[in-house]
Amino acid sequence: MDNTTVHESHSDIEDLFDEEEGERPCYLSDEEHAESVTGAPAVSSSEMEADNVAKLSNLDISDNTQEESQVHEGGSSHEISETTPGHQGEEGGRSNDPKGLELGDGDGSAIATSSTTDVGPESTDSGVLVTDVVDGDTLSEDGIQESPGSPSSSREGTSGYLAGSGSSAASVCSASGVDESADRILNQESTRPTRRSWVPGKRHPDEDDTSLAWRKHKKHFFILSNAGKPIYSRYGDEHKLAGFSATLQAIMSFVENSGDTIRFVKAGDHQIVFLVKGPLYLVAISATEEPDEVIRCQLELLHAQLILILTKGVEKCFVKNSKFDMRPLLGGTDMVFSHLIHGFSWNPATFLRAYTCLPLPYAIRQAAGAALQDMPNTGPLFSLLMCGSKVISLMSPRKSSISPNDILLLSNYVASSDSFRTTESFFPVCLPGYNPTAFLYAYVQYLDSDTCLFLLTADPDGFFQLKECRGRIGTILRQTNVLAEVANAVRRGGLRVEHLLETKASHPVLDPKTSSIFGSDGDHELHGSAGVPREGTIGIGGPAGLWHFIYRSSFLDQYVASEFSSPLHTTSAQKRLYRAYQKLYTSMHGAGAAGPHKMQYRRDERHVLLSWRTSDFELYAAFDPLADKSSAVAVCNRVCQWLRDLESEIFLLGATPFSWCN
Amino acid sequence: MGAWAESVQVCVFDMRRGQQEGHELDKILFFSPLDCPLPTQLSVVGLSEGLITFTRIFSPEKPCQLMQAELHCHIFFNCEPDIWIVMVIEKSKEGEEEVRVAAIEGMLKEAHDLFVMFFGSIRGMLEKHPVGDLARSCLHAFFPDYLAEFMVGKKLRLPSIREGLTERGMVEPVNLDRDTFLHAQSLVGLLESWFGGGTVRHTMLLFHNYLVSSTLSAEDTARLFGYALLRLTPAAISLSNRRIKSASMSAISAAGQSKIRNLLNNGSAASSQGPSSGEEGLERVTKKHPRPLKPDGWWKEVDNFLATDAWESDSREAKALGPTIWLQHSNEQMRLCVFQYRTTTLIILVPTNSSVNGLDGLSLLRGHLLEKGAQKMQKLEERLAKEWKGINASHIAGYRYLCCDRTGKTAKASPPSKVATLSKESLAVLNLVRADIDLEKGRLERQASHHDADLEVCVRTKQNAWLVVRARGGQELYTVQERAGDTLLLASDAVEKLSKRHFNGHFYSD
Repeated sequence: MDNTTVHESHSDIEDLFDEEEGERPCYLSDEEHAESVTGAPAVSSSEMEADNVAKLSNLDISDNTQEESQVHEGGSSHEISETTPGHQGEEGGRSNDPKGLELGDGDGSAIATSSTTDVGPESTDSGVLVTDVVDGDTLSEDGIQESPGSPSSSREGTSGYLAGSGSSAASVCSASGVDESADRILNQESTRPTRRSWVPGKRHPDEDDTSLAWRKHKKHFFILSNAGKPIYSRYGDEHKLAGFSATLQAIMSFVENSGDTIRFVKAGDHQIVFLVKGPLYLVAISATEEPDEVIRCQLELLHAQLILILTKGVEKCFVKNSKFDMRPLLGGTDMVFSHLIHGFSWNPATFLRAYTCLPLPYAIRQAAGAALQDMPNTGPLFSLLMCGSKVISLMSPRKSSISPNDILLLSNYVASSDSFRTTESFFPVCLPGYNPTAFLYAYVQYLDSDTCLFLLTADPDGFFQLKECRGRIGTILRQTNVLAEVANAVRRGGLRVEHLLETKASHPVLDPKTSSIFGSDGDHELHGSAGVPREGTIGIGGPAGLWHFIYRSSFLDQYVASEFSSPLHTTSAQKRLYRAYQKLYTSMHGAGAAGPHKMQYRRDERHVLLSWRTSDFELYAAFDPLADKSSAVAVCNRVCQWLRDLESEIFLLGATPFSWCN
Repeated sequence: MGAWAESVQVCVFDMRRGQQEGHELDKILFFSPLDCPLPTQLSVVGLSEGLITFTRIFSPEKPCQLMQAELHCHIFFNCEPDIWIVMVIEKSKEGEEEVRVAAIEGMLKEAHDLFVMFFGSIRGMLEKHPVGDLARSCLHAFFPDYLAEFMVGKKLRLPSIREGLTERGMVEPVNLDRDTFLHAQSLVGLLESWFGGGTVRHTMLLFHNYLVSSTLSAEDTARLFGYALLRLTPAAISLSNRRIKSASMSAISAAGQSKIRNLLNNGSAASSQGPSSGEEGLERVTKKHPRPLKPDGWWKEVDNFLATDAWESDSREAKALGPTIWLQHSNEQMRLCVFQYRTTTLIILVPTNSSVNGLDGLSLLRGHLLEKGAQKMQKLEERLAKEWKGINASHIAGYRYLCCDRTGKTAKASPPSKVATLSKESLAVLNLVRADIDLEKGRLERQASHHDADLEVCVRTKQNAWLVVRARGGQELYTVQERAGDTLLLASDAVEKLSKRHFNGHFYSD
């Protein structure tokens, strides 16, 4: 990766964060960077890591994982020996060398790793780098141990959890074959000083609870241990927030000591939501008008994301040592959490418990499905083809089920770092909805700039098999023109409310020519060229003042949302609407004596919201505040009819039904 | 059905007191139940204070209002600067969703409003008597009686979903034709003209539990009306089964008395003194100060004036004045005189220093009223009784509703007997929607550009009932229709009709 690439990735990620809440990425000054790299704390933290690794080395995760990890030992080394054909004999020998494994084990490993990275980011000694690789892989054998290899990178503030996901980054590069791979590692190493100046994921790292600016952030998230040790904070430096964490812990423990569990606190526009997950405390402090149920779900997702990285086995560390410091284990994964938290403000999948598909012609999606289906019996447990946060196709050859939240968390994990875009990766990952106690192994590669393939297996040695599968899938997808169609679909964008107007005005709804979002003969007339709506449709919204809608299919656990169009063109207007949807969804799904509602109409000075819930679907629509009630109802009916006509293009039909594990 | 709390604790504490370690008990001004062990009391206050301090980090203007835990719920009411009333409710298994926080806040607010009406502000008392004994003893003379209003057996009945179409702190006016209204006005005018004017400073006239007229400000009207409903209306008097008896201590359990005494001793640690000496302490408390909410504290004399022994006091001055209240609007203390003819209650407020030719103004007034006003009062009562359409007068077929005017502090609602016909599910949805609108209103109130909510919410429940709420210009209309048809438009039109016919079209939509 050269410097240019690095800079590009900066700007990409920068765009992800909206300005409203001051979510701009932060840049450390060189002085600060120097401190963080060469200062004494680095040494002490490496000692701490070594200590943790030593403790973790005795950790049992699950029988399954242990077995896998035993197998994996050979697998990882094999992987490396295979990955660099140029140096196959030499490097394969190295990694198989018991000494190499020893290096990757326990205290020695961690110290060696950190010293490697601390001392010599500019080092071009391939031997050292291979040690690094071996270290990562060896640690990953025991799922949880894979992360301790990462703190070196997190402390550096380099490519975030790139190295934190461990082995992934390492094996990634080495796995991409040819001599280049080693060069790429070297390049990455050599570019580290540049990347270090950027701290991924962390916003306002210099702030703490004494600063006014920190207090004014609209939404804080904290993860801490039940002993009060900070694990993650969205804003500010966890170390500086130790006192604040202790206060949170004191409040929670005080209530817990009385045999109760604190759930939430309300104070003016702020609410504090608490979630206790075994030895972990998760807390959100928010002034965002979201219902506490929604924030609680977000904390659940945050916890699930943590489990995705570490499995529930991490809880055992706290059983052994209540003062266990978990931060080194998560080293560098700030970006994953901040990316997920950012998703809480724009991604309906975070509250709908459903995923969305990229609109594609039916035949193309069928072809994609067929490509994923065409696997040996011993192949992946799940195959998933995604475009950004949208699913193209999903297959589970063994009829296992993957929950929408797992899809969300997995895609978030991958999307939160640019490193996945450039290389193939094979890394342990836990799907909390599938089995929160064990790791699966994910093979991830971007097939082009938009399309990402996920193959998941329980076999830690499955890298080469999945690599082969990927090759075959990639070929079929190219041959069947799927990738080109995906690119078209991305360019074209999603459904637009304006098209409902056109549909009504010029054609009967059931006209076959307009019952496809792709128009007749595959032209993209309805969308104008390059996905830009035609002149005249901008700014007017849909009929009867329709601004936006979300439609969720109950059977498919999938949703489709229209694109934002004027007057919802500002981020703040979109976010406001998004939060109104969250609130509406929560009230429509009420529990207890009130039960769920069938329909709801809500008008305030900002908009009219209409929601309609049947056993088949849920529709949430936003209108101009002056919209006429009867016209709005009529338009909602037309939207439903329109979507039913488009069903085969906007939904993935025939996917394995989900089972709800969480 | 109702929200029954397994147990309820109420605490009034002052965050400015007991700052030093070991003096925490000095913070506590009142704690119910009175026999609650001191460590528990300190634990409640400690947690409450901790939460208030913590939430001030993020929300300095409006700190902690509510803490929900799995088994408990703490509701905070910041009644005066740094003085808090906290209610701790142990949730019953099925009752959780039935409690609406704003309704309980309303209850705490009402308690404080009434307290201030009779005793003045707590902070004022603490400033006059920094030791805190005055404030403590007044709170102890007031709060147990207030809470007893909600006690059924040993349990406290909280505002529940059954009260979804009521609003605490509001006045329900009676509908009058013009002539009757003029009769009422004429009576009020006559009273105010006596003794050259000024003796009768304010009057409030009630028919059954409805307001006929009031010359007080909206806030003071609402407070006095609230008190009248508890103790002065014919319905409240009929519950009083006593004539003249000595003060009863039944409301306060003997077990808690030693704790009160300890609190009175400036928060010193619990002593081992027995209940007999504690009783003396309690005697001291209750004798010293009026108990305006004393059960059976008011009764009707043969001359149709209401009499009370609730204001028996150690203070000669207070005893001589009899029942008095403080008006919030003018910050004046007034003597209270109540005359009740059948279903009509006339409350007269006379300045405490009122005298006519050196004679007690109130005594003269009573004579005058019997001589010259009773007949007019009798006529008015007859007109009102004739005009009144019964307890279901406010019923509108097909609707269950509540209409509140926040500015005028008035409310009109379906009769409780009709609201009781609603299904539990409709009431639960109503409760949720009301809670949502409470939040919305709270948010708007805190905004710099304070404006009233303007919104409409229509919900079709899973049993096909329709709940329509409209809020505009400080007024809110809540309606439940269980047979409104299948569509949003039908339900909405029905509310449109209701608005046009009964609320001057104030809640028009579209």
